[in-house]
Amino acid sequence: MPPLAGSRPRIGIVGSGIAGLRAAKAILKCKVDARIVLFGDEAHRTYNRPGLTKKRYPLSDALDMMIAEDVKVNGAENDALTWRLGTRVETADLRDRILHLSTGETFEYDGLVIASGVRPRTSVWGNGECGLHAHRTLRGLDDARYIHHRLQAGEKITIVGAGFVACELASLAKEYGCEVLMLEALRSGPFENILGERVSVALGRWLAQHDITFLTGDSARELLCDLQPSHPGPPSDGALFIEAIGSVPNVEWLHGNGLDLSDGVRVDEYMRVAPWANVFAAGDVACYPDPWTPGNLTRMEFWKNAIDTGDLAGRSLASSMGHGPVTSRIGYFPSMSTEVLGLRIQIAGNPRMSDAMEIVCGDLDQLDQGVLVAYLREGAMIGAAYMDKGARFNSAYIKLLKSLRER
Amino acid sequence: MKIFVDRVKCQNHGQCAISAPTNFELDANGELQYQEAFSEENISDIEDAVDSCPLQAILLKS
Ligand SMILES: Cc1cc2nc3c(=O)[nH]c(=O)nc-3n(C[C@H](O)[C@H](O)[C@H](O)COP(=O)(O)OP(=O)(O)OC[C@H]3O[C@@H](n4cnc5c(N)ncnc54)[C@H](O)[C@@H]3O)c2cc1C
Ligand code: SF4
Repeated sequence: MPPLAGSRPRIGIVGSGIAGLRAAKAILKCKVDARIVLFGDEAHRTYNRPGLTKKRYPLSDALDMMIAEDVKVNGAENDALTWRLGTRVETADLRDRILHLSTGETFEYDGLVIASGVRPRTSVWGNGECGLHAHRTLRGLDDARYIHHRLQAGEKITIVGAGFVACELASLAKEYGCEVLMLEALRSGPFENILGERVSVALGRWLAQHDITFLTGDSARELLCDLQPSHPGPPSDGALFIEAIGSVPNVEWLHGNGLDLSDGVRVDEYMRVAPWANVFAAGDVACYPDPWTPGNLTRMEFWKNAIDTGDLAGRSLASSMGHGPVTSRIGYFPSMSTEVLGLRIQIAGNPRMSDAMEIVCGDLDQLDQGVLVAYLREGAMIGAAYMDKGARFNSAYIKLLKSLRER
Repeated sequence: MKIFVDRVKCQNHGQCAISAPTNFELDANGELQYQEAFSEENISDIEDAVDSCPLQAILLKS
């Protein structure tokens, strides 16, 4: 179905996060003469999600505004771009090229970008209450505002999980002077599935040294709630109880189109959603051929990944409409960093796929003095991690990364 | 164009030093040191650094 002669083609972008915004910017940059509509179910324009947990705010009546101001991302001001915020795309019919919106309207498109991201996994439905606590999660600006308010009040916080969001949140709560309890029932410490047991146990010790009660195994499980909502337990005390136990791709709205949605949305190396020539996906939701381990698929939940894949999806879409060739494929090299109670943790490559690890320098019993770890698979390095309070081994780390990239 | 890092936002994550080591570096204390001026041939590395910063602390100003 080519666009009607004489009318401008219409492009729909579902998700107003950084991947969606970057796709829109790339399309505009390719000078496609189209009308672009960016749909977002949050009420806010694109903001810097990683910034939500990175710092403590001073007590103020204007806290909500301060956070929003701080994480503001410059939007694309352009007459060709329309923002439809607070508008959910409920279903999509890819064959007839129609989106069905929460407002009851429909939107017919010529090109589509899927950038709907992920949402936190929960053990109860939504921000529900079990018998014991009011469960909350942290993903959006509204969640962050709520949590900063409660932490400012110095409340005790319980965090379930020990991944990035859990650790950053624990660190933030400590900075606010709160008492922190972390429960990790499945693993021995932070980031175990990525960095392995030894590093993970060392990181767990780091948390404990900084006055966080970090419980694993049965002692954690005992404090997790009974998940029967009807269970007549003691009434919820309303204490702050945050679940940070991973995420779920937002793909339900795509059901019924015969797509492979087993882990996000499957795309090719141009971010195209086969068999459709006019549908692309990017960001946290996109599952693409891993350029670094041929034959494997990867789906990454990192800021820079969303930028690079968003950009590529936009350029590929422009190209499908006859605007320029798509030259570069995905060049994103996974690299991320976080800070947990003063310890900078940097991870690069794909340590998750390793079968062995090697301490290059430092001592896991003295993380603050710097530890550099290489991750190997069949003898070849495929990932690296660097933990330090300062940056003693930073140049060695960067050198390791270089050799990883040039593999 | 010159590089400007918002020191209030920057938390020395060092992602920029990986993308553009010619202009960004963490010193032994883990503090970011950077050079404002860059040459045109490094522009894509610099843009990569701007995007990589999870705190959006790096700006290019003319
Ligand atoms: C607390 C926190 C800290 C983080 N820190 C870091 C960090 O330090 N470094 C790093 O690299 N990464 C970090 N990340 C991850 C990073 O934020 C994400 O990788 C990135 O924001 C993904 O962008 P995206 O556009 O793909 O998805 P999202 O930002 O999730 O955007 C998707 C948008 O689409 C909306 N949407 C979903 N379905 C629909 C629908 N049907 N209709 C309309 N709208 C819809 C969603 O509500 C959302 O607004 C962090 C994440 C969190 C939550
Ligand atoms: S990546 Fe950003 S936060 Fe990290 S050192 Fe560079 S400017 Fe600072």
